[in-house]
This record gives sequence, structure tokens and C-alpha cells, in this order.
Amino acid sequence: MKLKFFISIIFFSITIQSSYKFETVLTNLDDAWSFEFLTEDKILFTEMPGKLKITSLKDKSTTEIKNVPSVQYASQGGLSEVVLDPNFENNNVIYLSYSAKDENNKSTLFLLSAELRNNTLINNKVIFQAKAPRRAPAHLGAKIAFLDDNTILLTSGDGYDHREKAQTLDNHFGKIIRINKDGSIPADNPFVDKTNALPEIYSYGHRNMQGLIVTKSGDIYEHEHGPRGGDEMNLIEPALNYGWPAITYGIDYSGAIISPFTKKDGMEQPLLQWTPSIAPSDMIFYEGDIYPELKNSFLVTALVSKDVKKVVFDGLENNQESLFSELNSRLRNIQSSPSGLIYLLTDGPNGKLIKVLPKDL
Amino acid sequence: MRIAKYPFAVFSAALFSVMLITPITSLSNLLWLSSADMPVSLISFLKVILFDFQRLGIALYGVIIVGFSIAFSVAGLIDRFTKLGGKYLYAIAGAAAVGMALFLMVELLFQTQLLGGNRTILGKLLHIAGGFFGGYFFYFLISSERNYTFIIRFLGILYAYLLLGLVLEWIFTPIEASANFGFIFNDLSSNAQNALLRDFTSFFVASFLFSIFGVITLNHIWFFSVGIIYIGAGIFNLIAIYVHGTGFNQIFIFEFILGTWPMLLGLSIYFKTKKS
Repeated sequence: MKLKFFISIIFFSITIQSSYKFETVLTNLDDAWSFEFLTEDKILFTEMPGKLKITSLKDKSTTEIKNVPSVQYASQGGLSEVVLDPNFENNNVIYLSYSAKDENNKSTLFLLSAELRNNTLINNKVIFQAKAPRRAPAHLGAKIAFLDDNTILLTSGDGYDHREKAQTLDNHFGKIIRINKDGSIPADNPFVDKTNALPEIYSYGHRNMQGLIVTKSGDIYEHEHGPRGGDEMNLIEPALNYGWPAITYGIDYSGAIISPFTKKDGMEQPLLQWTPSIAPSDMIFYEGDIYPELKNSFLVTALVSKDVKKVVFDGLENNQESLFSELNSRLRNIQSSPSGLIYLLTDGPNGKLIKVLPKDL
Repeated sequence: MRIAKYPFAVFSAALFSVMLITPITSLSNLLWLSSADMPVSLISFLKVILFDFQRLGIALYGVIIVGFSIAFSVAGLIDRFTKLGGKYLYAIAGAAAVGMALFLMVELLFQTQLLGGNRTILGKLLHIAGGFFGGYFFYFLISSERNYTFIIRFLGILYAYLLLGLVLEWIFTPIEASANFGFIFNDLSSNAQNALLRDFTSFFVASFLFSIFGVITLNHIWFFSVGIIYIGAGIFNLIAIYVHGTGFNQIFIFEFILGTWPMLLGLSIYFKTKKS
């Protein structure tokens, strides 16, 4: 009986370890941050120093897009997220988030819309500039997602040195922003009628949010880096306060206690929190058919734990599984191709784009 | 012993400055929490102050030792070759060391403020004042002959300071502390939960108090008691691994270090007492 048990464990372990195979499709990426599929074989991706590129995954040919805005590439800042307009096939519009200096020579977060035509950006328009000036481009957030009503959500991080401002509504530190595609403010934003509150704010009390998705059912899921411990995944609702830094499960990098509190009425609890930190960097909700075991689960890339966390919620409980840790790489971004194949982007200079294949494909 | 007094004076002055500096960040955070209507109580106040003194303090301690070593060496040279000596020279050197350390921490770490209490001008001035008084304390220590008991007491206090983190975790956040030892608290029966919390808390609090009593009384028995506890933990850890087949861990290394340190202090006091 014991022998059977051990054999089954060994067999199970082997099965787990060999569930996927990996194919490196691109190498030598220079601090790549995000990517989008234009077609099954063509991606558009950003590199933090300020490059936007299109690469064919078939012949590996790469074209650099012209007329990309100047960015401040320093610390955690640079050219960050690229997303396609939901109507991209017809209007060729893309959105870019990036850090740059404002009129007072301070660093802040920008959101730009532009048309991508003949490998050039045209009709560039800054549709949002965060009122979150900081000395250095740290904790920018910079994730973009679309709601069903075609409004844009953008995460604006707490700037590290300005964490307390995440609790006040007169700035964009530690906020999720909601605007229309032209930069105007939706009339039904939660704080449009509140005095001393910026009308773009959708939710507040956040830290450095680097995962943001809207599911088909319209639910908004976000995750954010905690300090030392206390990384969080949240279900976002308008006007709600997510607590940072008044409540947190983490402590400061220095070892100091930021807050001894983890709960308070009027402040939302995370759906889950990771202590010690995994440093969540991106997220998708996988709905493809290529990996049946991953269907309808959240896949969260992580920089510190160097894996992808498969997260499935069962009511208030969650089940997690570590995937792709054999890559042993800090993972920056994850996307599912139009056919449902998963691609992973590794972090830092000499980054790689890795295609994940089921073993039997 | 005369040669030893300088490094020990640096270590002591740095610990003194840490004691002054860490509450700046703690109070800064607590004041903001109070202003944000968070229910700051005496217990949460103590928790923040004590935890920060240990956890933030340890990180700062290393930085300040390096800063003080350089600054006091330069001050020593100035003292020797000019007429600008005296307690204020070392106090200014201490202030300069802390000020420079804070400046470099920002410039070298993504240009962000690692210390919450250092974000305001008042906070910066208070940090520098902490360095100033550390330098003053350094001068006080080197200006008279430090004897054997000073060094033993300093090493005993440093030992207790290191243990303080474990003690605080088990007093204030015992469930998280037990998780660090591999316990899944909610999987235990209520009796097991109770036994875990009371025995572990008692273990760490007792060993901490024994070391404090050793510092106060300079009686070797207290240091031997702590040493026996931790060397025993190290031995039984190895027995658990190699006899009872539990998983291998490297904690026994720290247990032997935590046991040997007070044992050596106890032996030193014992032979010194016997000799005299």
C-alpha cells in the first residue's frame, strides 16, 4: 500500500512537471513591459526606455513604431502599458501609459491615445495626466483596461513617498481612474459631484497596482504590490476605499510597521493577500480551450516568486497553484493569443517572450 | 582592553542613536493613522514603537555603525592634529554621519524615502539630532576608561536586542509568529493552539528576561541559563532531524549561535570572578 502511494506521488510529480513545454519566441528584449496580439502571429509590445515595436512571431522581423511619446525612463518608470482599442480593427487606435516630466519638472503618469498607421503613431493625444507629481517615477501603476461601456480604467500608483495621499480624493496617488476615450469624465463617475474630490477617481486606497482586468461579466479585478508582504488581489467597485496605507498586511521595506491595522469598517478587505510578497506584475482571466485545466482561472505573473499563480475563487475561499516555476524567471506580463495560447514576458534587460504549450500539442 | 573601547563605543553609540531615531518613523506613522481616524490605542502604540525599534532598528544599526565608524575616525584625526577637539566635534560628526546616510539612502534607492519619518524637514532634523546625541554619547564613552563590565553589558544588551524581535512577535502577533515556525495555526486543535502559544511565548520571553537579568546583575548563572536553552534547542533540533526523521532545516545554526553567545559571556564572568 505504502509503495503504491509513493509510486503514485512520484508519477503525479512527473505528470505535474511535464504538463507544459516552453518555446522562447523572442529574445534580447530591452526591459519589455507589456504586449498585445495584433494577430495570432504578430505582437505589439513596449520597452520601458520608450520603444514601441511590432514583431512577427513567424519570421521574427521587428519594426519600431515612429512618433512614440518621449518618456522618463528611470527607476520604475518608462513606457509601460499598451492596449488596443476594443474597436481597433476599425479605428486602429491604441493607448499607451508612460511616465514623463510634467510642467513643473516632476514625474507623473500619462495616458495617450493614438492611431497606429503604417508603423507610425498619428493623432497623438494625451487624454490623461495624473495629478500625482513625484520626485522619481516610482509606483506608477500604469495598467489599462476597458469597461463594457467603452470607458477606460487606469491604475495610478501611490508614488511610494506619497502613500498617505492614497486616502484623500484631491489627488491621483493610489487611485483607479475612469475616463472616456477622449479624456473626458464620465458623468456617472462616483465622485463627480463630491467637492474637493477629483472626478476621474473610480476607487481609492491603492498602492502599486499592476494587474487590472475586466471579465466578460463586467467584474473588475485588480492586484497590487504590497510593501514587504501584503500583496493584494481585489474586486473593484466604484467609490470604495481599499485601505492602503491605513490597513495593510505588509510592513515597510525598512522593517517599520506602516500600520498595525489590517481591518476597518469602510475599508475593503482583499479577496486574497500574499505574505510574503510574490510581487504580482500582471494578470489574465483565462477563457481559452488549449489548457482545459486553466480554463476560467486567474493567471497572475509574479516577479519575486518567479512563477504564475493560478487562482480560482470558490466563494470567499481561493485555491492557488504555482505554475511555470521551472522557467525560474521574473515574469512581467502574460497574454493569451487569439487562439488561446499563453505567452509570458520575462522582466528586465535581455527579456524573453515565451510561448507555453501543452505537452501533447 | 583600551584598543577594544573604540569599536565598542561606536557600537554602543550607534545603538543609542537607533534608540532615538526609530521612534521618529513610528510616531510619524502613528500620528498620520490617528489623523486618519484609525483607532490607535496604547497597545497598538507600544506594538509599533517596540517592533520598529527592533526590526527597523536592526537595519539602521548596520548603516549607522558604518557611518559612525567613518565619521568618528575623521573626527579623531581632527581631534589629534588640531585644536578643534571635544565633545561637540564628535556630536557634529555623528550628526553628519546620519545626515549623509539618510541622503545616500534616498539617492541610491530609487530616489525614494525608505524611512517614513524622514519625509518632512522636521523628521530630517530629528534624525540628524539623533546622530548628534549619538556622537555626544560616543565622546562620553571614550573620554573615560571603559572597563570589562561595560563590554560584557554591551554584548548582553545587543544579544537581548536581537532576541527582542522574536519576543515581540510572540507577544503581539503569535499566530503569524507560529506560521514562521511552520505551524498552520487553524489546523491545530484548540488545546494544541493554546499549548503552542503559551509555551513558545514563555520560551522566548524567559530567555529574553534571563539575558536582561544577566546584564543587570552580571551573574553568570543568567547567561548560562539562556545558553543552555538555545544550545539545547540546537541539539534537539539535530536529534529531531537525524533520529526522528523530520525535515532538514538550518535553524540549528542560529540556535547554536544564540546559545554560544551567552555561554561565552557567562564563562567570561565566571572566570573573571574566580580570578578576582
